[in-house]
Amino acid sequence: MNTEASIHQNPRPGTAARTNLRHLFLKSARGAALSALIAVGASSHAVAADDTPVDGGTIVAGIDPAAIATLNTQLTSLTSSLVMADVWADGLMTYDRDGKRIPRLAESWEISPDGLTYTFKIRSGVKWSDGKPFGADDVVFTLMNFGKYNTYLTKLMPLIAGAEAPDPTTFVVKLKQPMTATLDLFDKEVFPLMPKHIYEGTDLLTNPANRAPVGLGPFKFVSWDTGRAITFERNPYYWEKPKPHVDSVIFALIPDAQQAINALSRGEIDWVRLEPVKVPVAQAAAKGGKFQVIEIKTNAPERAVVDFNMRKEPMKDLKVRQALFEAIDRERVAKDAYQGLANIAVNAIPVQFRNLHDPSIDYNKLYPYDPKKAGALLDEAGYPLKDGKRFSIELTYIAKAPFDSVAKVVQSQWTAIGVDVKLVGLDPQIWIDKVYKKHDYDASVISLTGRTNPVLGIDRSYLCNDGDVPFANPTGYCNKDLDKLIAEAAAAPLDKQKALYSKYAAIVARDLNEITLTNARAFEAVSTMLKNVDAQFNVAFNTHPNWQEVWIPKDQQK
Amino acid sequence: MLRFVLFRLLHAIPLLIAVILVILLMLQFIPGDPVQAMVGDFPVSPEFRAAITQQYHLDDPFPVRVYSYFVNLLHGDFGYSYQFQRPVWDLIAESAPRTILLTLVGFLIAVPFGVLVGTVSGTTRSSRVDHFWTSTALVAYAIPTFWLGQLLVLVLAVHLGWFPTQGMGPLVSRAHGLSWFLERAHYIALPALAFAVHEGTRFARIMRASVADTLGQGYIVTARAKGLSRGAIIRGHVLRNSSLPLVTVAGYAFGAALGGAVLLETVFTWPGLGLLLVQAVRMRDNMTVVGIVIFAAIAVVVINLLVDLLYAALDPRIRGRG
Repeated sequence: MNTEASIHQNPRPGTAARTNLRHLFLKSARGAALSALIAVGASSHAVAADDTPVDGGTIVAGIDPAAIATLNTQLTSLTSSLVMADVWADGLMTYDRDGKRIPRLAESWEISPDGLTYTFKIRSGVKWSDGKPFGADDVVFTLMNFGKYNTYLTKLMPLIAGAEAPDPTTFVVKLKQPMTATLDLFDKEVFPLMPKHIYEGTDLLTNPANRAPVGLGPFKFVSWDTGRAITFERNPYYWEKPKPHVDSVIFALIPDAQQAINALSRGEIDWVRLEPVKVPVAQAAAKGGKFQVIEIKTNAPERAVVDFNMRKEPMKDLKVRQALFEAIDRERVAKDAYQGLANIAVNAIPVQFRNLHDPSIDYNKLYPYDPKKAGALLDEAGYPLKDGKRFSIELTYIAKAPFDSVAKVVQSQWTAIGVDVKLVGLDPQIWIDKVYKKHDYDASVISLTGRTNPVLGIDRSYLCNDGDVPFANPTGYCNKDLDKLIAEAAAAPLDKQKALYSKYAAIVARDLNEITLTNARAFEAVSTMLKNVDAQFNVAFNTHPNWQEVWIPKDQQK
Repeated sequence: MLRFVLFRLLHAIPLLIAVILVILLMLQFIPGDPVQAMVGDFPVSPEFRAAITQQYHLDDPFPVRVYSYFVNLLHGDFGYSYQFQRPVWDLIAESAPRTILLTLVGFLIAVPFGVLVGTVSGTTRSSRVDHFWTSTALVAYAIPTFWLGQLLVLVLAVHLGWFPTQGMGPLVSRAHGLSWFLERAHYIALPALAFAVHEGTRFARIMRASVADTLGQGYIVTARAKGLSRGAIIRGHVLRNSSLPLVTVAGYAFGAALGGAVLLETVFTWPGLGLLLVQAVRMRDNMTVVGIVIFAAIAVVVINLLVDLLYAALDPRIRGRG
């Protein structure tokens, strides 16, 4: 797999006048050649200017303000909060664009041969954004106090025997039993570090620092103007000096994806994370030269799935689930719902987890698109065609893109084999209530993030779940053997994991409580005004730029 | 007059209580999980759920919550938004002036437009001018505001680049004095225009009908018979008498706009009450939703009262009755 962040649009804008000129030319066919000449001229200018970074300027990033209750990502997994945390917070380690672990505040780490003790060497001389010293005791404090609230650490916390900081540069965590994914749980996105001197002795959930954070990132929090913007400026105590180069990062609160693209194309904002459905629109708008669209090659798996309610007929019947899977042309889902910007999923363990994914368990071979066979399977299951219909089901989803398009494609294909499908598109909250709490559905479409490890994002779809926890397995499927295998796979040494995850994928492929249709690709749009973008987008999985690498030429600084 | 004002205000109290009860009841029946909304699309840890539920009394029985809401309201407390982590009143106090500003600027365009076009049309009935304005106003009024807003953004902002695409002002600005004012005016122009097109054409239609009605009155005939010029008749007799229905309609429109110009603010990312309301509903931030609804209800009551008072000022017959 090509792991470079590929840049799809390369023209950079010159002055505003030149951009307007280009815009006009682009409108006419005759102007196309001249416009290309101008772009080439602009590019050569960019190379000359790219050599020496200059300080100053502001980056305005667009984010969706919905539901941002806190900036503290120990307490939320909301995308907008996570995007901002990349700017103000930092952690022990992160990933480069190849998905390889790279150190941040932990300079190195060691795992004991029994897999029970993790020792991190913590960077010395680092200060929080308020100037107070940072040390290993802050890491211990964060783990032992925020761990129970952190949605990602629910698997790890019960396994922790203890954590300590024998000296300011050593952080040791001891487990009751090995868990190989432990390191992934100390990634800066999952486990941002929190200052002990701010939180100790306070109510963690109501501490004002959750909305005015003190962190270790390249920028520090300045203000939150409700409904308009959240502002960060250069952190004077940042440990990786002389970075960052820009003076401030402002997050403009823009609820609508199209509005964000409009603002980008006019140069009002400089960055936005693109929803898959908006990528083609953004690619077209990028031709104006104000921004470019970048693909994050090693992205966190974004799995479009269909959950079957196995508590009810007809989904109880394995043959029915198999038939419904075989009746779906997943190429069509990728093409129609994702405009071709999604890959066909191979099995339950996404390809991004290169060391764990076994391509020999292949849905394309096990359940190739075959409506005839699907019909025969339904005949066998006791659902023959009667007056052109076999049975009626309800397919529910959140009424927005891409879920609505996925649901419509699935509906049309199931209808083709005689299944009467009623589409029920709902508000997210009502959908959560229906699917996860009341279990009042037959089939449901959603897209789930896989994060950096199956422990974080995949296991939840297959583990037994009697309760009503949203975004965990809603199907009623419970296989104790699989649960045991999932736990074993998570704890196994690195060289043994692949075989166990292969078995895990095989069981899911056999039982099909949830079917994975596609795996969406990830794109971000960034202003052509910014320099050194390639170094900045050395990111993988769910991480976003922290803006410490880029700089803005003096004549373009806002 | 004072008695009239007091009577009207007291009259509004049962209405407000009913509005609050209905909205609380509606929110009670809409499924929703505010704790999940805070965490995103990942399973919430049980400890987090328990702590938030306890902190904000989310599991208190409905009557207990209604009772405590009214008690707090009597103390001037609109409640606390668990999503914004701020008192609801602070959120309203911050957003309402932005909505009022947008509405006022919209009215500054819409009212003169409506009066002018309505009067011209009404005094030249069945002429080409009248037909032109009547059909234009009908088409413009039929265009939904959100669609018109999007169209304005697409054409005037994205393609022509004459206006900013969204927001209330630049997030990075060094402007002062007049240039600051012009910068802000640049941002408000499109949303105000979208608002004004819809309301202005409505006002024009009302004004036209009213002018036509007034022109048929006996005192106009008398004025003509007295030899008054056409201009003097329109200025002295028609405009004032015809504007009464417009005052009523404009008053209601203003009240409705304060309740949150939801669609308009969403299209232009104008951070007023409408945008706040949409976000609060999406997040199941019930305290904020109820707070905005109460504010809107009070605004409508007060504005209707002001309309009545204005009526009295405009029409001596009503003053005499009051």
